[in-house]
Amino acid sequence: MTQPILLRVSNFKAYVWDVDDINILRSHHHICGILTGTLPHLSSQNIFLGLPLQLMPEEAVLLVENGIAVLVDDPSAHHIPSQSALKLWKEARLNDIRQQIALTEEKGSIEASNPDRAMSESAKRKRKEREERRARAMANAAPGVPAEDNPSPHPTSENPSQAIIGEAPDSTIVMPSGSYTVNIPASSSKLEWYVPHSNASLTIAREAGIWLYPSTLQERARCGVFRDLWEKGYYMGGGIKFGGEYLVYPGDPLRYHSHFVASVIEAPDAALRPMEIVAHGRLGTGTKKAHLLCEWNDETRVVSYLSVEWAGFG
Amino acid sequence: MDDVLERPRPQPATPTLDPAEEESSGSEDGGLDWTKLPKVGAVRPVIPKRGEKDFEPAAGGGSGLQAHVLDRARAAMFDALKADRAISSKSASYGIWCPQISRVHVTVARGIHFSAMGHSAARPTSIDNGSTKLQKRLELLPEEALYLIERGALFCWKDIQTDLTGLDDIEGAPMSVQQAFAEIIGKEDLTLEKYQVFAYLRRLGYVVTRTDPPSPSYPVPPPRVGSAPLSFYQRLSSIFSLFTASVLRFLRGSNNWWRPLGISRWIHHDKSYGKVFKSLRVIPAGHSVAPHSSRATPVAPSSPYKIFYNMYKPSTNFRKTIPPQPDFQVVVVNARTAFVPSLYELTELFNVLPEIPPPLPRKRGAPSVVQSSPVAVASPVHTSTFKHIFSWLLPSSTPQPVTSQPRPHPFAALKAGKKNIVIAAVDSGNISFFRFSQGAFEEWPTL
Repeated sequence: MTQPILLRVSNFKAYVWDVDDINILRSHHHICGILTGTLPHLSSQNIFLGLPLQLMPEEAVLLVENGIAVLVDDPSAHHIPSQSALKLWKEARLNDIRQQIALTEEKGSIEASNPDRAMSESAKRKRKEREERRARAMANAAPGVPAEDNPSPHPTSENPSQAIIGEAPDSTIVMPSGSYTVNIPASSSKLEWYVPHSNASLTIAREAGIWLYPSTLQERARCGVFRDLWEKGYYMGGGIKFGGEYLVYPGDPLRYHSHFVASVIEAPDAALRPMEIVAHGRLGTGTKKAHLLCEWNDETRVVSYLSVEWAGFG
Repeated sequence: MDDVLERPRPQPATPTLDPAEEESSGSEDGGLDWTKLPKVGAVRPVIPKRGEKDFEPAAGGGSGLQAHVLDRARAAMFDALKADRAISSKSASYGIWCPQISRVHVTVARGIHFSAMGHSAARPTSIDNGSTKLQKRLELLPEEALYLIERGALFCWKDIQTDLTGLDDIEGAPMSVQQAFAEIIGKEDLTLEKYQVFAYLRRLGYVVTRTDPPSPSYPVPPPRVGSAPLSFYQRLSSIFSLFTASVLRFLRGSNNWWRPLGISRWIHHDKSYGKVFKSLRVIPAGHSVAPHSSRATPVAPSSPYKIFYNMYKPSTNFRKTIPPQPDFQVVVVNARTAFVPSLYELTELFNVLPEIPPPLPRKRGAPSVVQSSPVAVASPVHTSTFKHIFSWLLPSSTPQPVTSQPRPHPFAALKAGKKNIVIAAVDSGNISFFRFSQGAFEEWPTL
């Protein structure tokens, strides 16, 4: 990786807002995070969630320490746009709206041209007809403008359903009256006044007051255990619902079950009550997982593991 | 149990609902199959199902099939994540985020969301001639605004001190969802954990409001009528219930008429099991006495166990200007920093909570009325007229031992408890809900 991934930090929480970054983190670095936002097209359920991806603090610490990512203070990265920047933004939006309206008028409906839909023969034919009609209308409307596609400056125009056509001839209309689509951008990266400033290391970020993790022995132990398991090639997820700190997966959690529930023990001489072992063993049997007791030695920075399973005699 | 039935569903459940699959969707370890997610732009969104997972990748980084399926799952997931927040201009709402007062001033309010969110507040507004005047306007709390932005229902500007003349309808700096997350969380006591709980419940259709009003103009439920004087009707019915209880006892024949004459009473002196057990209960029980503590204030002021949200079921008739008493109250804690609540913290929570009536048994099949009264067998005409009169005289809320109102099952009542608090523990995006309730064992002796 040449360019480090930007982790947007606000309120001491690290987020990833770029889908490509999420892909890199997941595919190359087996860091999953947890999706925490509402999926805009499926907004009434909690099973599948959308952007942003929230990282566990251990994940963020590991990424920064390994130089894969840097921390960005997100609230201060959003500057106040200048008047000229706002003017540009407004122009781009107006252009987009006009194109949409022109498109709607010609095609009847935007949804109909959704490229994701399975295309039957008749649909293909209809689409071809529509495109011909559009091309004709475009030629009529703007005889001076060549009919080639010119990319719009507006960030949302990459949606293929809003294919680019020539500008509407009547540029004196300030606010078009027809119905159009308003886009709320998810990521700020394409806004002109978004200038992220990276903090390359945890020390710098700590001095800047945007990131404090890990600051206690418990947090150091968590980071140490997380790193050790990660270096062994495992994927980790939150394990709070299984009575531990992490769920340890042999592969991507999208496709594979976890084998272990890991709980972090801060010191090798920390007391462990027999009831805990019983509870972990019982829970592990019920969830078909082995419980992993991970002892962190803060002096040698070494993790030792013990796994608990029901022996199953009798 | 009932919660499952009351979970909102955009469309009736499919008949092929597999109970095992349904169960697995409750556990976090079930496979999230993004490939079953409807494609962006599909006409009718459906709630997708979880899929199957493998035990582990084959040796050497997974077989070809495993790699293919994983790639497909990832691609589907990233496609879904790339979906635009696109709304029709006809249904878009607009607002201005004012960081100084931590509110979003709604300039255009459209859609059903505003029936359960937003409140009106009087703010000084400058009028054309330079003077200011208090004017009512619709405002959103930080969590409400962020939820609407995230959902793609609200386009938000940020209030900036820049001259906006010549920019027509632009009312500030346009905000992305990312900027909203960065700037709106952290204002007005809103933490990320609290926002995540709010959004989780809102997505399911619950109405969520703040328990402590963040400003005087924020509507709150009216104070509970705990020790308020009884209404005339209630007093009348309580007198009647005393009267009817004795009449009914007479009718049911539970009184043993020969009891005063029986000689065994004088010999054994009230030695029924119930009486003996009652006299054995010498240790006081119940929650009327606060737990003893050597410290003056056993609950630290920094305790995270404070009620934050009021919650209403989707079926509750909610009016945002006059909110009713909440169905649930929710405490949000950060699972990484908070401990399990102490007895003192729980006592403090329960002290402000209302008592809820015990759950009534659910009716199964045709309502069987006759079984409860043995008199009905002897003189059916007589009781039916009686029942008729009683049901007219007595409101259903008063305890009626014999009429058609079924008695609550003692175990169900013990399980439900008298007071309830929902605690949401959030561990970096992972929300777990717990219900703590104050039991009432002393009120339901089994003998």
